[in-house]
Amino acid sequence: MSTQRLPWIIKYRPKHVDEVVDQEEAKEKLLEWLKSWEKAPPSKKAILLHGPAGCGKTSLVEAVAKTYGYELFEMNASDSRRKQDIERLAKVASQTSGLRARRKIILLDEVDGLDPKSDVGGVESLVEVIKNTRNPIIMTANNPYREHLRPLRELSEVIAMNRLKETDVVRVLTKICGAEKLDCDTEALKEIARRSEGDLRSAINDLEAAAALNKKVTLETVKAISAYRDRIYAPWEALRKLFSARFVFQAREAITSTDLTPDEFKTWVNEHIPSWYDDPYEVWRAYEALSRADQYFGRIVKTQNWDLLSYALDMMGPGVAFARTKYKGKFVAFKMPERIKLLAETKRSREYREALAEHLASRLLTSKANVKSDFIPYLRVIFTNNPKYAAKIAQSYNLPEELVTWLAGPKAKDVLAYMKKTKK
Amino acid sequence: MGVFMSELLWAEKYRPRSLDEVVNQKEIVDRLKRFVSERNVPHMLFAGPPGTGKTTVAHAMAHDLYGENYRQYMLELNASDERKIEVIRTKVKEFARSKVVGEVPFKIVLLDEADNMTADAQQALRRLMELYSANTRFILTANYPSKIIEPIQSRCAVFRFTALKREDVVSRLTYICQSEKVNCAERALEVIYDLSEGDMRRAINILQAAAALGDVTEDIVYKVVGLAHPREVREMLQLALSGNFMEARRKLRELMINYGLSGVDIVKQIHREIFNPEVKIPDDLKVMIADYAGEIQYRLVEGADDEIQLNAFLARLALMGKRLKV
Repeated sequence: MSTQRLPWIIKYRPKHVDEVVDQEEAKEKLLEWLKSWEKAPPSKKAILLHGPAGCGKTSLVEAVAKTYGYELFEMNASDSRRKQDIERLAKVASQTSGLRARRKIILLDEVDGLDPKSDVGGVESLVEVIKNTRNPIIMTANNPYREHLRPLRELSEVIAMNRLKETDVVRVLTKICGAEKLDCDTEALKEIARRSEGDLRSAINDLEAAAALNKKVTLETVKAISAYRDRIYAPWEALRKLFSARFVFQAREAITSTDLTPDEFKTWVNEHIPSWYDDPYEVWRAYEALSRADQYFGRIVKTQNWDLLSYALDMMGPGVAFARTKYKGKFVAFKMPERIKLLAETKRSREYREALAEHLASRLLTSKANVKSDFIPYLRVIFTNNPKYAAKIAQSYNLPEELVTWLAGPKAKDVLAYMKKTKK
Repeated sequence: MGVFMSELLWAEKYRPRSLDEVVNQKEIVDRLKRFVSERNVPHMLFAGPPGTGKTTVAHAMAHDLYGENYRQYMLELNASDERKIEVIRTKVKEFARSKVVGEVPFKIVLLDEADNMTADAQQALRRLMELYSANTRFILTANYPSKIIEPIQSRCAVFRFTALKREDVVSRLTYICQSEKVNCAERALEVIYDLSEGDMRRAINILQAAAALGDVTEDIVYKVVGLAHPREVREMLQLALSGNFMEARRKLRELMINYGLSGVDIVKQIHREIFNPEVKIPDDLKVMIADYAGEIQYRLVEGADDEIQLNAFLARLALMGKRLKV
């Protein structure tokens, strides 16, 4: 195949790690992790590499493989729902590389493409593969914070990649112009870079399209052919857009510019209102607006009246953005909401309480609600202060181990030990 | 304490099994004993505050009627757990269908906390009572009899259970202490009575938890009650009112995780806390907080998100606290 025919985005892929621009931190973390495999599999056997479209996630992995001589086993995760694919993947992952064989990296591209509805088993099977793998697995995703990806997130080291800087995009484009012997105006390249908003892939595509029209790439041709794309932003970028919106429409757009559902994005706003605002008056106004939005969401779920969504978005976007008393431009690092991590724990704790109430209500001739309010608080006192006595009670009521553990908290081990002893 | 390998909860262990063992509510017990000896029981409504023995008495009466295996002749439902009238209807239908064998020509449906049912559900319940009255008798219990619709009240013999007197509770607790060979200070038992507001079940639970910690003294009793009702709610409230929103939010998360409390549980506890004399906030502010608590609880019941609504609540408290310099 003649190289002429290759699309430029493939032709000019970095062949060496050093050619990957703007991603120093991600590079460093990735290499360190790969190195740790040489002794034994590290505690996190997978990496979740995420960043906006076109920032070079796949390129980075490919460049690393090339530079350090790994064999790359590549698979698009959204195709992997087919049973034989998963089986093939599992087989490759479980193979140890022999003495002579090249070391392997398994690359699962676009895991956020797994559809939570139609690929119900997809995430679970990947989780199994990761748990059992003997080879490093790298997954890529635009947005790793979708709720259904949580199991993958928990198993992986999460590494973020950035949108490229405009100047770096221009640098790459200039290099391509040289290699293709094109006559490119600097202004034209700057315009392409600006429109790409850090998406190198789209920038290279735009340059190729402009060059196909004319060997001389000018600002006019660029303006004529490249349209602004509808961009999808990472949640923290969308948050920045929201909080620093100057107009109502910007704040509203910010919500729909991520591929989180508004309901998922709500959690990010909830987490970061106090990261952005520090005046109690502003914090209150912002939460007031968000809590109204949340009410609309609740009503939508209850009544299935999706007309109400519009009001929810008004409150969550402009409502939160214009809680400010005066405009402040500032930089805040938005981290992933603690709550997304805590949600599962809270839910589990509530389920234990419910299960315990269910377990005891009939014996104690009272309602579950009463067991929760009148018995469980005192059981907790007993279980956390007198393990021996608690063990005897647990035995009389046949309390399963996980409920004992929940009740006794820090004393769980002691209570369970006494239970074992008395059973004999 | 306790020489057995297993320990029951005292609320179960010291529950009267038969009407003869019930020490208080004397008039009620006398009338019920007559029903038992005549093998003739009307529909009944047991009304009164929590922990006064309504459910216990219903079980004791059924025990006296049918003997040890009375629970197979009694369908126990709890209106606060089975909110759907359809569920109740199906269960009653199923239960009433089978014939009664033995000397007693009817079975008993015990519907606890019937005042938690909506008026519509109660109408349906009334029809059920009529439909199956040939071979079933309903015993309803309620904390607030006024919330039971009149057509039901008029079909029932109504019994009013009164809050237990101080000496009744203290003497029962003393009896338990003696049986369990636990050292109990008389003053400690008085404190338990005060803290449990005449609710025998709660009083016994406090006593047992206190005994698990050692000799039952006044201090231990206070300690137990403090441990049982997380101070975190008060701390969270005070953090918010002092303007420290971030710390208050952290406490909120802790409460939800460590105690498995729902948003509604927490709102209710906040409501209780603000009227606690130890919490020093101006009265007009208390009223404003109570009003907002009601609004938040309503939103939660409507399906809103626990954490977001409570954060909004805390943010408001932080602002109020700052403005009023609590």
